[in-house]
Amino acid sequence: MSASVPTLKRPGLPGWLIFVGALLVVLVCLFPFWWMALSSIKTLRELYTIPPIWWPSMPTLDNYHKVLFESNIPRYFLNSLVISIGSTVLALVLAIFASYGFARFNFRGKPLLQSLVLVGQLLPTAAIIVPLFITLRVLGLVNTYWGLILVYMIITLPLSVWMLTSYFKNIPAELDEAAIIDGASRLGVLFRITLPLSTPGLVSVLVYAFVTTWNEFIFALCFATDSSVKTLPIGLAEFSTEFNTDWGAVMAASVVMTLPIAILFLSMQRLFVGGLTAGATKG
Amino acid sequence: MQKQSTGYLFVLPALMVLGMLIAYPIAYTGLLSVTDNQGNYVGLENFSRILAARATPTAFWNTLWWVVGSIVFQVVLGVLTAILLNQNFRGRALVRSVTLVPWVVPGIVAATTWAWMLHTEFGIVNYMLTAPGIIDEPVGWLTNGSTVMPMMIAINVWKMFPFVAIMVLAGLQSIPNDLYEAARIDGASFWEEVWYVMLPQVRSVIVAVTLLLVIWALNHITIIYAITHGGPANRTLITPIQIFRTAFESVQFNQAAALSVMFFAVAIVVVFIYIRTLASTPGEAQ
Repeated sequence: MSASVPTLKRPGLPGWLIFVGALLVVLVCLFPFWWMALSSIKTLRELYTIPPIWWPSMPTLDNYHKVLFESNIPRYFLNSLVISIGSTVLALVLAIFASYGFARFNFRGKPLLQSLVLVGQLLPTAAIIVPLFITLRVLGLVNTYWGLILVYMIITLPLSVWMLTSYFKNIPAELDEAAIIDGASRLGVLFRITLPLSTPGLVSVLVYAFVTTWNEFIFALCFATDSSVKTLPIGLAEFSTEFNTDWGAVMAASVVMTLPIAILFLSMQRLFVGGLTAGATKG
Repeated sequence: MQKQSTGYLFVLPALMVLGMLIAYPIAYTGLLSVTDNQGNYVGLENFSRILAARATPTAFWNTLWWVVGSIVFQVVLGVLTAILLNQNFRGRALVRSVTLVPWVVPGIVAATTWAWMLHTEFGIVNYMLTAPGIIDEPVGWLTNGSTVMPMMIAINVWKMFPFVAIMVLAGLQSIPNDLYEAARIDGASFWEEVWYVMLPQVRSVIVAVTLLLVIWALNHITIIYAITHGGPANRTLITPIQIFRTAFESVQFNQAAALSVMFFAVAIVVVFIYIRTLASTPGEAQ
């Protein structure tokens, strides 16, 4: 990405300004997380003191104990995991076929269908929660894993199709044609040639879909009101009232919820950012 | 011919799912908005009822304030960060990863963490401002009617400016070196380079990102809902939250649907501007 080697010396920002700016950016971005982590290991007394204590004199894991053993958070964690993985996998499977169709075939109405997919991604979710709720109720899918997994297709599927289509298009179609001449079927081509060549694209779609569904709030709030299917974001939101806003526990739960995303993101960062910005650089 | 129909077969399953989950609810919203809860046709009664509600104009202005306030700061801070990250310095890769963190974490975590930091009595923000005497006494950031919306906007800006930064940065890094060299030969200073080379070159990226941010600001209500539920005294009530509350707290599905239809109409205009802009970008970018 930044491989361009300047041949002429460019005018740049003075070093001190870069340093101050970078420091500021890092502080602004990370301070809330540092404070969150710090608050999660403070005792009740140290949380509620004025002035606030910068470093706990006796760090404690009580808050984590409370979150992990005395609350519904582990259950919500499991629910989130099932729902996120379910909808991510389902979206990926559907998107693989649709993207291959869009990338490799010409058929009437293709541009229209493609822009409809994009529109789907951008529509305000709040505008359709009412009819979705009624529909799910009629189908008996309110407060079920399947209900949320299906509804999450709305957020994950359009963008997955969009990202994968552009990825598939970059793979030379000649490879497909050669394989077909050698007697492979269309599906054989898709699974033996196109997919193995698109692993980075598939991974960035997976990460994107997982992160979006893991973080989703509004649909979960409307369609999962029973504790057997509630997801972590909802659990966290109600946690504040459930414990009469025990901020230490809330911060510990926040840490628990952030960790999987942080790990996933840090390990896949390069792919993720590459996939995200591909559109911007190619124009 | 055979090729055509095979293409349809590949895209059909995904389109059916999307049709069922998006097209059908949209049509259903339209139907709900002109009927009562028994399903009888009532014309525009739901519309006039919800428009007469005192909360509706409040929510409209709050939404406008929320969207405009968020976008302006997100774009300005995002572009500045991108210019900074486009400089060569040691540790740049690390700073760039760190920048993305607020964007990646769940909105609800951002909400709880900032709510705790902005706590009136025990919050670190009030302490940091009172200790050096910047303000005299602690401010109830989230309970005071005049500070609560600016705080929501600030949290939203904190959450989303990284996205702008990373997109604009990608645009900056694809600017051909010749342009910089030409500017340098003309003796351009750094800020002239920013103004005459960088910004014009990433204009299309900025426009696309801005429209996307508008759509997202209309969509993402997590921060406001989780911290204030739209309160205090409707000071942070934005239209999507009003839809939610009308439907699930007042159980007025039909009025909520009428509000959804109007909200939808506004959103679709933004979406179409966005798509037209996207469609016209390639020519500009090169």
